[in-house]
Amino acid sequence: MTAETLLEVTALSRAFGGLRAVDDVSAQIRKGELVGLIGPNGAGKTTLFNLISGFTPPSSGTVVFRGRTINGLKPHQVSRLGMARTFQNLRIFPNMTVFDNVSVGAVGALGYGLRHGFFGGRARAEEISARTWAALERVGLAGVAGELAANLSYGKRKYLEIARALATDPVLLILDEPAAGLNDTETAELARFIKGLHAEGGTILLVEHDMGLVMSICERVMVLASGAKIADAAPAAVQADPAVLEAYLGIADDEEVA
Amino acid sequence: MVANASRVSVAARWLGLAALLFGLIPALLAAIGGGYPFQVAITALIFVTLAVSLNLVTGTAGLLSLGHAGFFGVGAYAAALASTKLGWPFPLTLPLAAVAAAVVGVLVALPTMRLISIYFAVATLGIGEMIHVALLNWVSFTRGPMGIRAIPPIEVLGLDLSGVVGGYYAAAAVAAAGIFAVHRLTHSYYGNALRSLREDDQCAAAMGLNPVRLKIEAFGVSCAIAGAAGAVYAHTASFISPDSFRFEESILILAMIVVGGLGSLPGAVVGAVLLIVLPEALRGIGDFRMIAVGVFMFLSILFQPKGLLGEASAIALFRRQLGAAWRGDIQAGWK
Amino acid sequence: MPDFFDAYFAQQIINGLSLGLVYALVAIGFTLIFGILNVVNFAHGEIYTVGAFAGLLLIVGAAPPLLAVVLFAMAVGAAAGVGLERLAFRPIRRFSDEASLKSRAMREATLLSSLAVSIVTRELMVHFFSGEMQVIPQAALLQEVIAVGPLTLTNGNLFIFGASVVMLGGLQFMLYRTRVGLSIRAVSNNVLGARHVGIDTNRTIVATFAIGSALGAAAGILVGLYNGNIFPYMGFAPGVKAFVAMVMGGLSSIPGAVISALLLGVSESVATDFISAGWKDMIAYGLLVVTLIFFPQGLFGHGRERV
Repeated sequence: MTAETLLEVTALSRAFGGLRAVDDVSAQIRKGELVGLIGPNGAGKTTLFNLISGFTPPSSGTVVFRGRTINGLKPHQVSRLGMARTFQNLRIFPNMTVFDNVSVGAVGALGYGLRHGFFGGRARAEEISARTWAALERVGLAGVAGELAANLSYGKRKYLEIARALATDPVLLILDEPAAGLNDTETAELARFIKGLHAEGGTILLVEHDMGLVMSICERVMVLASGAKIADAAPAAVQADPAVLEAYLGIADDEEVA
Repeated sequence: MVANASRVSVAARWLGLAALLFGLIPALLAAIGGGYPFQVAITALIFVTLAVSLNLVTGTAGLLSLGHAGFFGVGAYAAALASTKLGWPFPLTLPLAAVAAAVVGVLVALPTMRLISIYFAVATLGIGEMIHVALLNWVSFTRGPMGIRAIPPIEVLGLDLSGVVGGYYAAAAVAAAGIFAVHRLTHSYYGNALRSLREDDQCAAAMGLNPVRLKIEAFGVSCAIAGAAGAVYAHTASFISPDSFRFEESILILAMIVVGGLGSLPGAVVGAVLLIVLPEALRGIGDFRMIAVGVFMFLSILFQPKGLLGEASAIALFRRQLGAAWRGDIQAGWK
Repeated sequence: MPDFFDAYFAQQIINGLSLGLVYALVAIGFTLIFGILNVVNFAHGEIYTVGAFAGLLLIVGAAPPLLAVVLFAMAVGAAAGVGLERLAFRPIRRFSDEASLKSRAMREATLLSSLAVSIVTRELMVHFFSGEMQVIPQAALLQEVIAVGPLTLTNGNLFIFGASVVMLGGLQFMLYRTRVGLSIRAVSNNVLGARHVGIDTNRTIVATFAIGSALGAAAGILVGLYNGNIFPYMGFAPGVKAFVAMVMGGLSSIPGAVISALLLGVSESVATDFISAGWKDMIAYGLLVVTLIFFPQGLFGHGRERV
């Protein structure tokens, strides 16, 4: 384990009223890893995710990304440091074309301000176009670039969200339940796609509710239950961990092994 | 090169638009005869400018503003006061009006930008009315309900534009500049950033855009253009009073962009012309102006919610016209 | 500076309370409709005007007792509210799921459609009655002076107090002791849930518009007779102020809206001691903006979604 640590979370907690949604979680992600984060419904996965990406401020603890403490930063500042995310419940820009959706990621990362708009900014525009097309090619949506995003099928919208995140050229890509709502064939295809991104050197954190996808592609799996991290190991070790089995017992005991 | 050819055609199209605005339309108006058609055309152009500016914040960036007439009023009063009290000529009062409206706009925008959707709408209604109350009651500065009289007509570098025809050219020039500025912003990646805020501002923030900053910029630019329209109004009408800058005017401007198509630049122009010229045409049977405005607005919300010229088709048109395709086969990019 | 215990000041408080009660009656309509649909009804101010005009027409035509005038105005207001719902709200409403029901697009579309209906209603009134103040028969005005010690009240003050208390009491009774009230509260709480247990949501929404509009219309005729002016644009200012009261009260809380309305009425009335009457409107608009910015939960701390 010599690779540089990209993300380091230390003693992170967040309480909502009396409920400790995330309770003293410490974890790290190194460059080039494909890490899974799983847990039963209500385990605090999405809260942890929102704490990391700046959407929710933590009650205590620190988040260090690429050597910088990022708690307290706004989501757009976190994004500009190279962390890109997708959303659990598909948040595309429905009344914009597929191309324009993805271009927003490139605009956010490269910047295209008022002065570029007024005075041309032709070079910057070329750069944004190129990056947008590259992201569209990568997810296979280049052929429908001119369509309104609202007209895409559910499965394609998932890839649209991923393309938009890729257009920011992220150092760390966090996918929030990308397999939700997909059938088995589509999930298998998504698994191949994520593995492909990883093989190109991408660092990915995959947050999932269902264990199947995570166990099949991740190198390391963290398990969250009732807001606390109860396991952090290779998939095989996690599957054998009695604490994990207990957390999942009665929730998903026949689909936990892929 | 293809790029050069497209650039030539872009220039040709803008020239065509200029020829229409400065040649064909005034010729037609002159043919109809008298000063009255020019008077209507000046009003239409002022409202085109206002509708185009409101469309930037409300149509493109998705901030429903119900107080736009307030910023129009700030511009008009700035120009009127500077010209009557300080003797400033139009070339100075025009930028002054734009800057004054933008400053007021940004000041009120700073604290209200956090509000979303209808809460922002209601806050802008409150702010628009506050501006009206201030214009009405700050008598020592604005002369209150008496208004400001004898605002000098437009003169640009010795060129006398005092008549209705001259006023038309000045209003047309300001409208064209407003259209051009909003066109530059909305038909570019900056426009994509603003549209993404309208669609989902949290998601846009996750892509690295700073929603608050973008909204304030858009609001400031929009108010500046509305302020410039105010200067044109003050100098062409020669008399202004607070009653021209009320909630009703804000709604009229909003109705124009709703009818034309929220987010659509040509839609804003068409909507403004329609809602000014049509009631004038109906004058023979009585003053149905605001009734017509309400009916138009209602029908278009119900039956044509995307407006006469919807945003998507308007944008597609501009992409094609400007030859901005990054690739020949799919016309998706912006230059 | 005024002596804080002088009769003049007490007088201003009483005037402010009548004003506040009127705002409260209008604010309740806003609050009920916002509670049930999560939308702003921009035509509510016009309902107030319609109530005033309906009452005036009856007075001019038949000169019946005041109670009959108010009841008639309420009936016309309720009918106008039902028509408004049919015209501007129902065509846009989609009950497919919670998300689309509360979506921004739906809210903004109904805001605009109710705005359009309000413009047409108001301008039609201008067309038929002119934009000027209407002549009200002297006998119908509620401006008869009643001296109570050093205070000068009018029968209008008393009538507004009495009628508002009766109507507010009636509303509470209706909401908490009747079937209609139960379904209104159920639909406000959870539209889809209420549907699942067999509540006719459309009928409930219509009932809400009828009740809220009847109260607004009653306020319109009372103020018209108290101030002696009825004109097509009269609904705008109380509409905005009632809206301010709703926002200050926390959007869907009726007690919150009523208390805020009274606060607003009293502050406007007392403020005329310190500032000229023209600037008084600044108070409501200022409170509106300040509340939205600094107290997004309303002044009384009700939880609510992101604003």
